Amino acid sequence: MKKTLVLRLPAIAALLAGTALAAPVAAQATLDVAIIGEADTFDPMRSTKDVVSIVTQHFVETLYTFDDSWAVAPLLATALPQISDDGLTYTIGIREGITFHDGSTMDSADVVASLNRWLEVATRGKGVADKVASVEATGPHEVTIVMSEPYAPLLSLLAFSNSAAAIYPEEIIADTIETVVGTGPYRIAEHVPDQYLQLVRFDEYVSRDEPSSGASGKREQLPDEIRFVPVPDPNTRVEGLLSGQFVFADGLPAESFGRLEESAAADPMLLKPFGWPIFAINHKEGLLTDKAIRLALQAALPIDDMLFAAFGDDNFFVVDGPLYPEGWSWRTDAGAELYNQNDQKAAAGMLEDAGYDGTPLRILTSRQYEFHFKMAEVAKQSLEAAGFTVEMDVVDWATLGQRRDDPALWDIYITHSPFLPEPALTSLYNPTSRLGWTQPEKDAILAEFTTETDEAKRMELFGDLQRMVFEDVGFIKIGGFNALMGTEKGLAGVPATPWPFFWNAKVE
Amino acid sequence: MTRYILKRILGMIVVVFLVLTIAFVIVRLAPGDPAALMLGPDATPQDAAELRARLGLDRPILVQYLTFIANAARGDLGSSIFFNQPVTQVLAGRAEPTIFLTLFSLMISLVIAAPIGIYAAYRRGSWLDQSAITVAMLAASIPSFWTGLMFQRYLATDLGWFPASGYGGPDAGFLDRMGYLVLPSIVLGIVNSALILRFTRASMLDILGEDYIRTARSKGMGEARVVLRHALKNAAIPIITVVGLTFALLVSGAVVTERVFNIPGMGNLVVGAVLRRDYPVIQGTLIVVATLYVIINLATDLLYLAVDKRVKY
Repeated sequence: MKKTLVLRLPAIAALLAGTALAAPVAAQATLDVAIIGEADTFDPMRSTKDVVSIVTQHFVETLYTFDDSWAVAPLLATALPQISDDGLTYTIGIREGITFHDGSTMDSADVVASLNRWLEVATRGKGVADKVASVEATGPHEVTIVMSEPYAPLLSLLAFSNSAAAIYPEEIIADTIETVVGTGPYRIAEHVPDQYLQLVRFDEYVSRDEPSSGASGKREQLPDEIRFVPVPDPNTRVEGLLSGQFVFADGLPAESFGRLEESAAADPMLLKPFGWPIFAINHKEGLLTDKAIRLALQAALPIDDMLFAAFGDDNFFVVDGPLYPEGWSWRTDAGAELYNQNDQKAAAGMLEDAGYDGTPLRILTSRQYEFHFKMAEVAKQSLEAAGFTVEMDVVDWATLGQRRDDPALWDIYITHSPFLPEPALTSLYNPTSRLGWTQPEKDAILAEFTTETDEAKRMELFGDLQRMVFEDVGFIKIGGFNALMGTEKGLAGVPATPWPFFWNAKVE
Repeated sequence: MTRYILKRILGMIVVVFLVLTIAFVIVRLAPGDPAALMLGPDATPQDAAELRARLGLDRPILVQYLTFIANAARGDLGSSIFFNQPVTQVLAGRAEPTIFLTLFSLMISLVIAAPIGIYAAYRRGSWLDQSAITVAMLAASIPSFWTGLMFQRYLATDLGWFPASGYGGPDAGFLDRMGYLVLPSIVLGIVNSALILRFTRASMLDILGEDYIRTARSKGMGEARVVLRHALKNAAIPIITVVGLTFALLVSGAVVTERVFNIPGMGNLVVGAVLRRDYPVIQGTLIVVATLYVIINLATDLLYLAVDKRVKY
């Protein structure tokens, strides 16, 4: 961290007085990283929040992770599992000589206990629990998972750092883990809530030998310390980065891009694309249970205008209908001709044919994510032009989080998500999600998609699933948007991802 | 006197109890689910319901209220939902930056406002008086977050004179931490000096027009003695009142300034607690603030005794 004039004053005063300061000496190569807020928990099984993933992946590890092309790669497992021909049995080798931060050695009992807890307490684990027949240790360093039915996304779920299948020592496994103990390259040294989380290098860490690729491969532990500093205000993160206080700042406002580009101290880091804003549709009750009205809604939305109003700069959004961006293996154009019709006249006709009676369309949104609100405002104008009666319910995020669980209170709520490495990682397609999207053809495709193990066939099925998203208007992808982060000039080894990590970071 | 203080303390208990009750009701009337917020965007309603049960938030409101009152009477303000720590511990951790930010900014306010206010009143209608009023109006009108952002950008980021934000890392000593408070104190000091300046000027103007000031001058007393000894002493009561109120407001957390400069004080804590629906922390902060407010008011009233012998309780 750069010392300012004011922070140097005590040292100057001490020198003038002829005394030496007795302050502790800071470790070399400390990285101060500004994050958007405090992590609610250090147990990544218990949260699906990105900030929890960003922080905890440094001290907690999973059996698998993702490489830079979002393919699953081994982390605590020795290699990818042996999967039986019927797709029901996964035999996983566990690496030997791995030490937890409490000094104990990892074995298959720890892995079994951790995976069982994941199936019981983690949102994503619970989602797959009914398909898991057993998790057993079949050797000191071998675990076997037996499925009751094939489930292709299992490895992606085991690799994801969000609602993560983290591996803990068997001894600490409990419903609530008070002190998290992991195997990661860094361990927690001190946590002062709302001030910093200090991580220091874990000296007994055994890294993989493969070259680094995404979160997989070698974890070099280059910084001595990593300090995550919660800075909720985005402008404060910008100023902190530009003044040299932080080497990395997450979640910066689009308006700061120019200043970062011109700065001699920092560089912008654009994650392109980061994610997609979503109009989540209520299929359980209310106006949008009528497919004809959903189709009118889809036809009326002025996607270009909504994205421009939301992000204001072409650098930060892309008008793109397919559910995965260019360059991703899941990319398909199936059904995307229904995207961005921006045809209020056609929508008006559809509404008339559907016998729309003027029942208000309730859009639940929050100004805590200003781009959500701006998209809703623009959409409202076009929807009203098409003949919809629109009611905006603008609340804070905490209230939205509560109201969206009651299907009687909304027709659309606005949210967003990063692009996830496996479609099944999002619950949007699932009939049991808060959207409650159920439709016989779609449900059959989804069931086949999750049980099919042949990758080529899964790609084909995902095309069918995407087509259903448009044809049945399961939910509406508004477009793609980019995320802006910032780094100190010369910072290397930090890839642009929604969950940035710093074990290979160095300032050149 | 003792009777008066006891009466005020009794009143203080009633005020704090009322605040406690209002705080409890208001935070629960507000929609929003702390459990859903903690679990993240992909958590299911069932997950949130389970967490609510674990946190005791599914119990009847009356049961929650009675438990809260009984615990508060024993000094137990409950545990933060978010930090999983006792509220008293969470608040204690935020006290240092807020207390020192308050003291520094009040000192800066007084250093700016008192001499200018006195001189502006003494030279009523002069260019300095007019300028002081204009600048005070300006300082009072500009939102503190804007002043904070500008100072942060130009004095911290561009010139590097001050740290841009925060309160120091694990290796920051006491003096380092105080260094982080200098710029926010200046911002708050400027904002609050406007109010104190206007009160000082107005109060001094009243007193300087009194007969006894004219008498003092006619007796040949020096101007400095007239203004600083006779006028200022008698003008002090309204000034003490406004300084006391300002102090109470600041100690309750300079919410915006702490947010802009990312200072982990009471103001930042309470904003975060509201956004996260951390009910025990909101309640605990309100109780502490209400108590401080009443104590500072009492202290202000007692201070009147010291500056004006005519005041009797």
